[in-house]
Amino acid sequence: MGRNLRLENLTKKFGMLTAVDHVNLEVEEGEFICFLGPSGCGKTTILRMITGFETVTEGSVIFGGKVINNLIPQKREFGIVFQSYALFPNMTVEENIAFGLKVRKMPKKAISDRVDQMLDLIGLRDWRALYPPQLSGGQQQRVALVRALAPDPQVLLLDEPLSALDAKIRVRLRAEVKRLQQELKKTMIYVTHDQEEALSIADRVVVMEKGEFRQVGKPIDIYKHPSSSFVADFVGTSNFFKGSRIGNLVNTGKREFRISQEGTSPGEEVFLAIRPEKIEVFKDKERPGDVESSNVVPGRIDVVIFLGAAVRLVINVDGDEVISDVIEKAFEQRRLGTGEEVFLYFPPEAFLVYPASEASR
Amino acid sequence: MNRTETLSGASTPSILESDRLITWVTMSFLMVILVFFLLYPVYDICKLSFFREGAFSLRNYASYFTNPRIFRSLTNSLYVSIVTTVITTVLAFFFAYGLTRTTIPMKGIFYTISTFPLIAPSIIQGLALILLFGRNGLITRYFLQTTWNIYGATGIVVAECLYCFPNALFILVTTLSAVDTRLDEAAQSLGASALKTFYKVTLPSAKYGIASAAALVFNLTITDFGVPVVIGGNYSVLATEIYQQVIGMQRFDLGATISVILLIPSVGAFLLNYYLTKKSYSLISGQARPFLQPSRPFKKWGFMIYCWIPCLFILTIFASVFLASFVKTWPYDFSLTFKHFNFPSLGGYGPLWTRFWSSVLTGEWQSLIAYKFAPIWNSFWVAILVALGGATLTLLSGYIIEKKKPEGAQILYTLSVLPAAIPGTVLGLGYILAFNKPYFLIYGTFWIIIINVIIANFTLGVLASIANLKQIDKSIEEAAVSLGANPITTFTRVVFPLTRTAFFSNMTFFFMRAMTTISAVIFLISAKVKLAAIEIIFLDIDGRTASANAMCTIIIVIVVGMLLVMRLITGKSALKGMSASA
Repeated sequence: MGRNLRLENLTKKFGMLTAVDHVNLEVEEGEFICFLGPSGCGKTTILRMITGFETVTEGSVIFGGKVINNLIPQKREFGIVFQSYALFPNMTVEENIAFGLKVRKMPKKAISDRVDQMLDLIGLRDWRALYPPQLSGGQQQRVALVRALAPDPQVLLLDEPLSALDAKIRVRLRAEVKRLQQELKKTMIYVTHDQEEALSIADRVVVMEKGEFRQVGKPIDIYKHPSSSFVADFVGTSNFFKGSRIGNLVNTGKREFRISQEGTSPGEEVFLAIRPEKIEVFKDKERPGDVESSNVVPGRIDVVIFLGAAVRLVINVDGDEVISDVIEKAFEQRRLGTGEEVFLYFPPEAFLVYPASEASR
Repeated sequence: MNRTETLSGASTPSILESDRLITWVTMSFLMVILVFFLLYPVYDICKLSFFREGAFSLRNYASYFTNPRIFRSLTNSLYVSIVTTVITTVLAFFFAYGLTRTTIPMKGIFYTISTFPLIAPSIIQGLALILLFGRNGLITRYFLQTTWNIYGATGIVVAECLYCFPNALFILVTTLSAVDTRLDEAAQSLGASALKTFYKVTLPSAKYGIASAAALVFNLTITDFGVPVVIGGNYSVLATEIYQQVIGMQRFDLGATISVILLIPSVGAFLLNYYLTKKSYSLISGQARPFLQPSRPFKKWGFMIYCWIPCLFILTIFASVFLASFVKTWPYDFSLTFKHFNFPSLGGYGPLWTRFWSSVLTGEWQSLIAYKFAPIWNSFWVAILVALGGATLTLLSGYIIEKKKPEGAQILYTLSVLPAAIPGTVLGLGYILAFNKPYFLIYGTFWIIIINVIIANFTLGVLASIANLKQIDKSIEEAAVSLGANPITTFTRVVFPLTRTAFFSNMTFFFMRAMTTISAVIFLISAKVKLAAIEIIFLDIDGRTASANAMCTIIIVIVVGMLLVMRLITGKSALKGMSASA
């Protein structure tokens, strides 16, 4: 069990509102966990209960086998990185990093060695004497990161640490956080509403909605096998169709799709979800022969968005908007473009099927 | 692992047990101070006015309302306050408009000059008007050779207008600069004329600010003591009537009754102001844009001239008092002299000061420095302690109210803003009633004065602290805590350094108030404990007007000196965003 962190039936209520509802999770030592969810889903509240800044209404936070619900934040020895950096503006970079060491009354030499080591980790040795407002946002967040790491915390908690930064720096720093985590083998809990960030950085992702865990798993599993239509929608992009299932056919009212999974109760209302990259787009003459013909539908390309290696097409299918991603090469070869009449093929095995009753859509 | 424990439904709060304790102890300490030195004296006043020989009675009120001479103080007070409120609010509004909505040059100079009345006792406007328009006034006697003079209601109104001007101006400048100017532009782009835009857009959007400024002016005027006492002549108002009844006639019961009567309009104006300030915040748009189109020449020159009028008035006030302290016989003999600084010996005594200078100096210099200047030294010393104590206590209160928010913080907040509603004279009388007992050892010493000035000015100090603390991101403190800092380290190493500028500006404010306040402390001085600002009144009553002016000049010099020192320390003008009340 070692220095594992466990949440047991953890619950937080603010008056009538239940922000976190009986959640359970075991975080292994050295693991990188991401809490992912829309704003207001309770992910930050969980983080604040782990740090001790928020009281626990019910259940427990357990660290190393001990319930720490009533332990004051100073005693928990968890490092925190805040969205707003929260660097002390009255102290230099160096003093900021040394703060946690000084309050632990470490010897001077040890402090200065540790500060050097931390500055090297983020490559900001030459900036040590500057004050936070003199640094860029990315530099400030790097300082905040090593300031939290300097006292060698048991767990590092990061509350949307990159969301105040612009896109390019966000991606760079994301890689840096991952590198630090692998180097230091530190348990990290990372809160974000950015699904791309969560998938690219974490060992395991916890998808949250309305105070509950919707799915916990490796990024690839969550992407490939979302357990609900909410997860399919929130993580990555999905096209949805509502219809009623009879056997392995789903009637959406406008058309009928063949799917690979056979239903048990005929007439059941279901949602079909399909990832944009699973849909094939082609012009009539290039139409492959061996496809399920009922899953081929005509449409017209309304919008073309270049994403770089792929091209995203927004296709009007009989009044419905369908999003399809094709690789750039195929886009060129098939001479696709705005206004072109095309055919879309939805492979039966690519459909994810969810009962409509569980979905809030 | 203890599984039963994990299921316990009612968990105890985990946050910082020691922190909670410290917060709780500090909050209780502050509440005790405010209850004991604010509520208790006011309670004693109410008790004295409503009870006779231990039984509830309205006889005091009956004798107040049936004595026409005393009753007149109420109507007089209301009259001068209402007239002053209307004039000041209108004048200050257009002045603020000129500063915020036109592109006139020299805005900084106008603004600075208009804040001058804050650095002097309110009495200075009275002294100056007497110098200019009094019985021996430079203008009335010397230039116009008329027997008309300004004593009475006219004098009070003019003096109060000047005194209240900067206070109203602060609110109106804030209001007008916070309201989005794009609304004006939108109205004009839709074809509204400039005048129509002003009436339909600018004025309505500033209405709460205007009303709040008016309520403040009303409150300041009806509670002021310094102006009516020097320029009122026989025109009695509530604040002076309290002093008259208590010190002149030893009628504490009537003094208490008038105090309660004065509390009604002053608390009313305070509540109105409080309500309006909240309302006016909701109108403030985060989108307010500082950019202004250049004003047309006519508008620009019009506002330039308009803004010069109050500024010239204020400059004249200060120049006349300053000049009158250095000339032989105003307005007849303008040869320079320092003789007015040789104050008549009023038995002044400053504990350390007198002992020190007596041993160093001899003869005339000894009596001048060691004894005659003692009240100045006392004031300075009191002001330093008030500055330190006031700024510390208000910062702590603000910190608990804004950042710690424990249960009961709302009560602390209410107690903290309440002093602005209590007129100084009332609080002063309350202190006599509550603390003039042998076992209150601080009575009759400097300490009671220090406490009184701190409490009387608590409101603005707390509000300024709260405003400043609001700007500090909550996670900065949490960062310190998560790094292992205890509550005291967090406060001293992180929070205090970040509020330093506000702390120094609060210190300056308390220092200024301590140097210039008159109304409350006039009840608390004694034969041994004298203060410079109070001496102005006694010198004036003694007919030593020139020396009163000299004393006023010294106070101004000390306050300006302090402002300069604070400016050097913080690199910011300490007068910005400061007014005499909330």
